[in-house]
Amino acid sequence: MVEKQKLVVVGNGMAGARFVEEVLSLGGQDQYDITVFGEEPYGNYNRILLSGVLAGTHDPKDIFINPLSWYEDNDITLHAGVRVIGIDRKSRTAYGSGGLLVPYDKLVIATGSSPFIPMMDGLYQDDGAFRDGIFPFRTLDDCTEMVEYASEAGRATVIGGGLLGLEAARGLMNRGLDVDVVHLTSCIMDQQLDASSGDMLKVLLEDMGVRFHLEKMTTSIYGNGKVSGIGFRDGGTLDCEMLVISAGIRPNIDLARMAGLNIRRGILVNDDLSCRNDRDIYAIGECAEHRNKTYGLVAPLWEQARTLAERLTVEKSIASYTGSRTSTKLKVMGVELAVAGDKEPMSDDDEVVSYVEPNRGVYKKVIIRDGKVAGAILLGDGFTAPRLLQAFDRGEVLPQNRAELLFPLSADGESALDVEDMPDDAQICNCNGVSKGKIIAAVDGGCRSLKAVCDATKAGTGCGSCIPQVQAVLELAAGGLVAEDPSEHYYVPAIPMTKPELTAAIRMQGLRGVSAVLETLAGGKEDAASKMGLASLLKTIWADEYEDERDARFINDRVHANIQRDGTFSVVPRIYGGVTSPDELRRLADVAEKYEAKMVKITGGQRIDLLGIPKAHLPDVWRELKMPSGHAYTKAFRTCKTCVGTDFCRYGVGDSVKLGIEIEKRFQGVESPHKMKLAASGCPRNCAESTTKDLGVVAIEGGKWEIYIGGAGGSRVRKGDVLCIVDSHEEVLKFMGRFMQYYRENAKYLERTYGFVERVGIEHIRSVLLDDSEGICERLDADIQASVDAYKDPWQEAEIPAHPNQFVSVAAGS
Amino acid sequence: MATRTHCPYCAFQCGMVMEGAAAAPRIAGDSEFPVNKGALCIKGWTAASALNHPERLRSPLMRDADGVLASVSWDTAMTHIVSEFRRTQEDYGADAVGVFGGGSLTNEKSYLMGKFARVALGTSNIDYNGRFCMSSAAAASIKAFGIDRGLPFQVEDIAGAQTILLVGSNASETLPPIMQYFEAQRMNGGRLIVADPRLTATARRADLHLRLTPGTDTALANGILHILVRDGLIDADYIEARTEGFAAVRGTVSTYWPERVERITGVSEADLVKAAHLLGEASTAMVLTARGTEQQAQGVNNTLSFINIALALGLVGKSNSGYGCLTGQGNGQGGREHGQKADQLPGYRKIDDPAAREHVASVWGIAPDTLPAPGRSAYELLDSLGQKGGVRSLLVLGSNVIVSAPNVTRVERRLKSLDFLVVSDFFLSETAELADVVLPSAQWAEEEGTMTNLEGRVIRRKRACAPPDGIRDDLKMICELADRLGKGEYFSYESAEEVFDELGRASAGGPADYSGITYEKIEENQGIFWPCPSPEHPGTLRLFTERFATPSGRARFTAVQHQQPADPPDSMFPLFLTTGRLLAQYQSGTQTRRVDELVGMSPEATVEVHPTTARVYGLLNGGMARISTRRGDAEFRVRVTANIREDTLFVPFHWGGRRAANRLTNAALDPTSKMPEFKVCGAAIEAMD
Repeated sequence: MVEKQKLVVVGNGMAGARFVEEVLSLGGQDQYDITVFGEEPYGNYNRILLSGVLAGTHDPKDIFINPLSWYEDNDITLHAGVRVIGIDRKSRTAYGSGGLLVPYDKLVIATGSSPFIPMMDGLYQDDGAFRDGIFPFRTLDDCTEMVEYASEAGRATVIGGGLLGLEAARGLMNRGLDVDVVHLTSCIMDQQLDASSGDMLKVLLEDMGVRFHLEKMTTSIYGNGKVSGIGFRDGGTLDCEMLVISAGIRPNIDLARMAGLNIRRGILVNDDLSCRNDRDIYAIGECAEHRNKTYGLVAPLWEQARTLAERLTVEKSIASYTGSRTSTKLKVMGVELAVAGDKEPMSDDDEVVSYVEPNRGVYKKVIIRDGKVAGAILLGDGFTAPRLLQAFDRGEVLPQNRAELLFPLSADGESALDVEDMPDDAQICNCNGVSKGKIIAAVDGGCRSLKAVCDATKAGTGCGSCIPQVQAVLELAAGGLVAEDPSEHYYVPAIPMTKPELTAAIRMQGLRGVSAVLETLAGGKEDAASKMGLASLLKTIWADEYEDERDARFINDRVHANIQRDGTFSVVPRIYGGVTSPDELRRLADVAEKYEAKMVKITGGQRIDLLGIPKAHLPDVWRELKMPSGHAYTKAFRTCKTCVGTDFCRYGVGDSVKLGIEIEKRFQGVESPHKMKLAASGCPRNCAESTTKDLGVVAIEGGKWEIYIGGAGGSRVRKGDVLCIVDSHEEVLKFMGRFMQYYRENAKYLERTYGFVERVGIEHIRSVLLDDSEGICERLDADIQASVDAYKDPWQEAEIPAHPNQFVSVAAGS
Repeated sequence: MATRTHCPYCAFQCGMVMEGAAAAPRIAGDSEFPVNKGALCIKGWTAASALNHPERLRSPLMRDADGVLASVSWDTAMTHIVSEFRRTQEDYGADAVGVFGGGSLTNEKSYLMGKFARVALGTSNIDYNGRFCMSSAAAASIKAFGIDRGLPFQVEDIAGAQTILLVGSNASETLPPIMQYFEAQRMNGGRLIVADPRLTATARRADLHLRLTPGTDTALANGILHILVRDGLIDADYIEARTEGFAAVRGTVSTYWPERVERITGVSEADLVKAAHLLGEASTAMVLTARGTEQQAQGVNNTLSFINIALALGLVGKSNSGYGCLTGQGNGQGGREHGQKADQLPGYRKIDDPAAREHVASVWGIAPDTLPAPGRSAYELLDSLGQKGGVRSLLVLGSNVIVSAPNVTRVERRLKSLDFLVVSDFFLSETAELADVVLPSAQWAEEEGTMTNLEGRVIRRKRACAPPDGIRDDLKMICELADRLGKGEYFSYESAEEVFDELGRASAGGPADYSGITYEKIEENQGIFWPCPSPEHPGTLRLFTERFATPSGRARFTAVQHQQPADPPDSMFPLFLTTGRLLAQYQSGTQTRRVDELVGMSPEATVEVHPTTARVYGLLNGGMARISTRRGDAEFRVRVTANIREDTLFVPFHWGGRRAANRLTNAALDPTSKMPEFKVCGAAIEAMD
């Protein structure tokens, strides 16, 4: 085995640690024993996110990239909190603080940079430390100390209106401080912005509350022990309780200088990132100077780290670093600012394309050189920035029409085009690839109804979501000649009959189950879409003679509970007329606790709902409640809401509580085309809201009751029509029952009473139910009585499940 | 009489009812089948036209003295095949004969192909085109969850998810009837996020479209997870209780801050945040991936990065939630479970696992040490054809490799350098045209067997009509070939059902355990979900509710980094090229390019180009363009559309010859799954005059 070389990395920051990661990803641990020195006593963290930590958007623990254990797991020797104080190039040894000696074969300097601190009076205390309240903004420790100090301070000043300074200002504002920003020149972020965009950014930030002091040089710091203000060269002063210095960075090159390496602003490196005068020492990151450039952004650092890792691990690698194109974004909440490359043209040959809209704070400028993006400033346009920056990064060929750079053409996903405006080749049905033109051709070919068009083109036969658009194209193409498809009046799709025709056929042939109906009337066709509707109708017709088939039920009906978003169920027991007792409430509370109901809620219909019950617990819950099902899950009589009535209310004229309980006891469990919500009010004040219920009664003077039908108070609001006025509870029950049966027999499946009453007409209903114009009242009364007699509490299935897996949880929706 | 069977095409395996005369069968959607509930797409409606197509092969073909393919008897063809295979093996060894299968073959065929290769031929070289399809998702799922079933839940669950992140899938065109569940999800108030370089028919329905740069999937996923961590939206309790490895992922994603991810992916920071919050704030959410993210040289890592999101949010194993992959090919799931892969034995066992070898050998009645070692993966196998130490005689079933493999120009050269090529197909496909012997095979409606759909539901494919005279089904063909090779005793079956029963025994105890499934049980239950380890077992609807199939029972996070595609754009090839499917065509088009209705809808190969890019390169809508990459060039009709990124070209891969997208694609393989990088490479485009 070849002996491993010793690779020593000085610096555990964004460049150094990334370099080590890259070496590992290339299998470099087999070639090198790796030692890393880091001045800070941590694993490595993401310095880019310090602004987020200051602003409180990032938790400090979320910015760590590799914890200390990572170094151990990868056999890397980390000297955390140890500073390298010298390099002996002759003996190839690095000297760490505290007397550490580490020999190397290859040494990588990644010492980064330090904040530049301008000369100011009063900066330091006697012991050489910063005066209290002064902070550079560079490390995690700076950041946490700042956060702590800021919690006691009310007013902060940031020296330096560059990228980092502005991020610091915004962060401190987030923490509730008043913030002033002092900047040396007339333009903030002048490294990246031209004067116009700098002004616009300034206005944006001022609107957020930042105060700017431009063209000010800070020369002194006041305060007794702590900072209390600063003074400018022009004589002005500014009060503040804390001072953040963000005036730029300086590469850390002292170590390199002492080691005799060639330096200028940074450590001079070649394209392979080796030092000019020592090929076994490399420099990457903010401390390195490559082709006259030092970098302060992360992307170039990482490119250097990758290149060097390849150089040092891949045999005969020719990887070389040729410089980076830099772009960045300002991380300030509420501001969209992206900048790349040059801010101004370099020569007359450079092309400048710009768009300015001060009112909306939009500024876009692109500098084009040799047909490529050489620079860009994008303020207030987060949509264009990603593409433009990519074009800059990659040196893409640009559109001749430069406007397309600033205003990219893209379909934005709005498909809400009116069908009229769509071209003929626009796809209407995705599943079957049916275009508008094809539908028009079908219409021209004689299809005049939705069904005919769908059958002919297959449009709408996949997922079905395009049907409204197919209908619209049909109407457009057929003009006034759209025929109603007779099948639209079929009660269920599988059987070509309207509801009265179907009812008659079922009665005549004595069909008592869904399968029997499909077998006899639909030619044996199994049609899932028809089953639910048929089951509902059969129950209306046959009451307890109905032959139940469980697959003709929705999940809610199969398990007698309402399925919730998360796949659990809600349990609403019946509380007649909304009148309960301490004993019942105690049981409800016990059950809710025992089965950990996620929520206990009073429903709109005056009932108590236990939400979040898993399917498997349903039988136990019902058993222990000892209350019947409230049918809150099905198309049936739901509840009869009541007001306090005559016993307690000073205004009551009719005993609405007693009547409500009578109504509910009589009609509980009666299934219908859609749900039926009822109410009984004891006086015309209508506290139970009877006039907006499917059926409602209101007591009026003289012991009389008004019966309302067809009211609605949901997505649709409709005041009910008065069916009749009667004298007694018995008559209320009789006419309500008669209407219910008529509705059950004649409404379409899933048609609420309000739709039904409007469609059939209140006059017609009155004539049938009051004047017996069709001679069916006696039969209606008898049939509703049969349904009442057939009532069985479905929760009794807790004792005898309908099938062994009824309450076994396999998957929601099963 | 009506027969209830399933569509021949995609992994949704819509139930269909076939009625009427064999000459002109009528097809209707099966409204009783709980997956498609009666819906079919245009491919399903028209599927019967391939049955009685005039170009259908009706007898074996063999090269005559002039080198022309001419009809011969089955006996002549089989005799020739056997003598060629024997000669190859005598001259070059057992591994010199290879077998190449497909993801549309039934479980019975997939299983029997694996057995045929190992027992009748004794070769290690068997793989299949599913390697080009599902292998990345499969490898990622196994790594993260210890088991690979495309969807670990029923499709029905989709309807109840509050938020769905769909990555690299154009399901509206590739699995149209599944969209009823997305539609139901929308009606329930759910939100859909689609990540795709194109504004596809699917992306158009989304609440949020992330138009990512091709090849930046991991950066996108890591960026979303960064925001979820930052904003406190991860499920720490779940991570603690049910997973391992999160600490490293947390560290890795800290380096994917939104500004950086925006620059890599081209997805704006605002949209990243929106996506993260839609996912993180939902009480139920799903992350679904497909080929867009998987068919890359980083396909496994890409998939893992999205699985990390699902795990960090605590979604996996909960109802209406989790991670799933939308399988592509008809039997893409079953085809990858029963030994059609180079490294695998039935029941999703590893061929290098001694216990697995022992078990399968005992079911097959052979000595474990006669089982070959792992062989070459699909592209590696194709690339070895005719080469020193490579495969010299090849049997291809149900795969049109010179249309569907990456870098087909090279694959074509390799195929031509073979000593002997046998292809079994319904039509004279582009690959069959190169063969020495072509065998006509029965189509879906003419055979019995089982398929496993994208949910892991094993279903019955039933015979609705007899194949035309002169055509045999592949099971019979394989058994006869085995018999002629002297191994008939291991290949005597009366029916597909017998093969299935043996498959069940061979899979017993493996991750994909079919041993408790019978044809009867499938019939009674509209399909059975594997694993189903015993006759009494009802099958497994939902996986991972209690534990994961890893040794520790915990799901595994994997920290993954964004990496450049293997062949990124540069100044010579400045655009991204990506490939995919169209609604009206299927895979290599062998069937669908012969159906009039489908050809009418998608008559020819087109390239989608952004209007800005079209102007830059002087392309006219409807004109012809030549696309070139570092591997070759191909020609397409130009379709200018703002639905695509400016820097990206899209071509469908259903055509062969000069129109073959795969003349352009890169065969760089994922190191784990060996998936080629179909979905991204650098390309140039120019107008043709």
